[in-house]
Amino acid sequence: MRAVFRRELKAYFSSPLGFVFVGFFILIAGIFFALTNLLSGNPNYTGVLGSITFVFVFVVPILTMRLISEDARQKTDQLLITSPLRVSAIVMGKYFAAVAVFFITLAVTGIFPLIMSFFALGGLAGWEILGGYIGFFLLGSSFIAVGLFFSSLSDNQLVSAVETFAALLFIWILDTVSQSVPSDPVSGLVFLGFLAAGLVVLVYFTTKSLLATIAALIVAALAVALLFVFSHSFFEGLIAKILNWFSLLKRYNDFTLGVLSLSPIVYYVSFSGAFVFLTVRMIEKRRWM
Amino acid sequence: MIQVENVTKRYGQRLAVDRLNFRVDKGEILGFLGPNGAGKSTTMNMITGYLSATEGSISLDGHDILEEPEAVKRQIGYMPELPPLYVDMTVRDFLSFVCEIKGVPRQHRREHMDRAMSLLKIADVRGRLIKNLSKGYKQRVGVAQALIGNPPVLILDEPTIGLDPQQIIETRNLIRDLGRQHTIILSSHILPEVQAVCSRVLIINKGRIVASDTPENLSKGLVGENKLTLRVAAPETDILAAVRGLEHVTKASSAGSREAGTIDILVEAKRDHDIRRPLFALCAKADWPILMMKSMDLTLEDIFLNLVTEEMEEKEVS
Repeated sequence: MRAVFRRELKAYFSSPLGFVFVGFFILIAGIFFALTNLLSGNPNYTGVLGSITFVFVFVVPILTMRLISEDARQKTDQLLITSPLRVSAIVMGKYFAAVAVFFITLAVTGIFPLIMSFFALGGLAGWEILGGYIGFFLLGSSFIAVGLFFSSLSDNQLVSAVETFAALLFIWILDTVSQSVPSDPVSGLVFLGFLAAGLVVLVYFTTKSLLATIAALIVAALAVALLFVFSHSFFEGLIAKILNWFSLLKRYNDFTLGVLSLSPIVYYVSFSGAFVFLTVRMIEKRRWM
Repeated sequence: MIQVENVTKRYGQRLAVDRLNFRVDKGEILGFLGPNGAGKSTTMNMITGYLSATEGSISLDGHDILEEPEAVKRQIGYMPELPPLYVDMTVRDFLSFVCEIKGVPRQHRREHMDRAMSLLKIADVRGRLIKNLSKGYKQRVGVAQALIGNPPVLILDEPTIGLDPQQIIETRNLIRDLGRQHTIILSSHILPEVQAVCSRVLIINKGRIVASDTPENLSKGLVGENKLTLRVAAPETDILAAVRGLEHVTKASSAGSREAGTIDILVEAKRDHDIRRPLFALCAKADWPILMMKSMDLTLEDIFLNLVTEEMEEKEVS
């Protein structure tokens, strides 16, 4: 894993990609810092971090687009996969390299609160800022995991970047969407129905067996029907509930308030873990194509 | 050493490799011969664990590639069809990276890299970025990469493609030398190449083995006839009639005139009958000077077409 990590990290800075990411990120962070803190004399730095989270939607695709797809295009994946390394070690090496670039960038923005500390008369809320940074780092790492996954779906960097962008944008608006979706049980039922139908279609495309598809259809329909009959309350606000599972931003709010609690940390780490795992599965699946 | 049993690979509906069975013994240099798309690369990709077989099993020294992938991969150096190179690295950094992922202990890395670089003669470009190298150099870095870690098995997919004639000869010599310490599987679609280095050849077509033998036997066994081209200063009709009259000659035809006053003819005779002496005697007697006589080289296409047509005939019979 270390070898892959070091190679990828070096690769970021032997092409413009790493510099574009770092530069763009610091530029945006700098603008927000200057506007919010310096020019208006506001000591609330975690607020700045909170308001620049939107940058992830644009810069994470740049960071992750070539991670896996470039290997598939250049056929270097043959070198990696036929080496004694495990696929999980390869993927984790790549993931941590991207995370490391992000970490380096964040470390540079550490200058901002440092600058502020010279001027803040009442002193800075140091722990609060550190907490904000931890949350910000975890949020970014989760987005990077999503990008990593989409990079494994295609051998074209641009396609990966666009897919990642779309996915992140979706995650981004999820919060807003989940607030205004209908919460009555019937729409919950319809939504679950669609999910179940999607699952059945997935079964069809993975097994290509009509029998398995019909079986899956029956099981899904029965499960949804039984659930609707016996546990009516389950469908209350179901859409919002499901959407909230994927809402990364909602969990970030705690950090901006200076609250460092375990549950969002666990959430982010497992969210990243899940996408890293999916990426590993995706690459292992390719061998069976 | 390598055992391939009943291996089948399907890409969706398309059958790429069809129930392949063969084994490679220690110290052998095995050549895969076949046209493009015959399943050579797919087979190699399966042996190295890059692809998984749809059916069947592949094992190395009794270790199954799917069950103990790490143990098997450690034993194999692989150079795929397109050399897998990180073009944004220098040759030295790249080989050092390969050492790391292959788990070569730190204190031996230098040694492994120096050996690979000197064998492939790439030491002079060690500090250059791979993307700036010529195709021949890239190819050689690809082979060097496979040698790192000194694996007992080397699998080389078209190792001489893209090299100039001088480099091709050097690479063939290198493969022959490596064959003393390593078991090698290489693929090619050039017959002389396989002939020059391999101790055994598998001819693959449409994912199936159509022949497996030593190169000598293959070229002998497959030629139905001896073929000769002859340039003689003689009247066309006379010489053709006279040659057809010779014993063992199955066919004689004119190939036109390339030199004023001479005629080129194509003579085919039964296998195991050298007709060069009778031909000379015939022409000498009639006072027709022979200006050129050579036996036709057997090309892969000939062998190949031969095998494929034989196969089709068999099918029709059964």
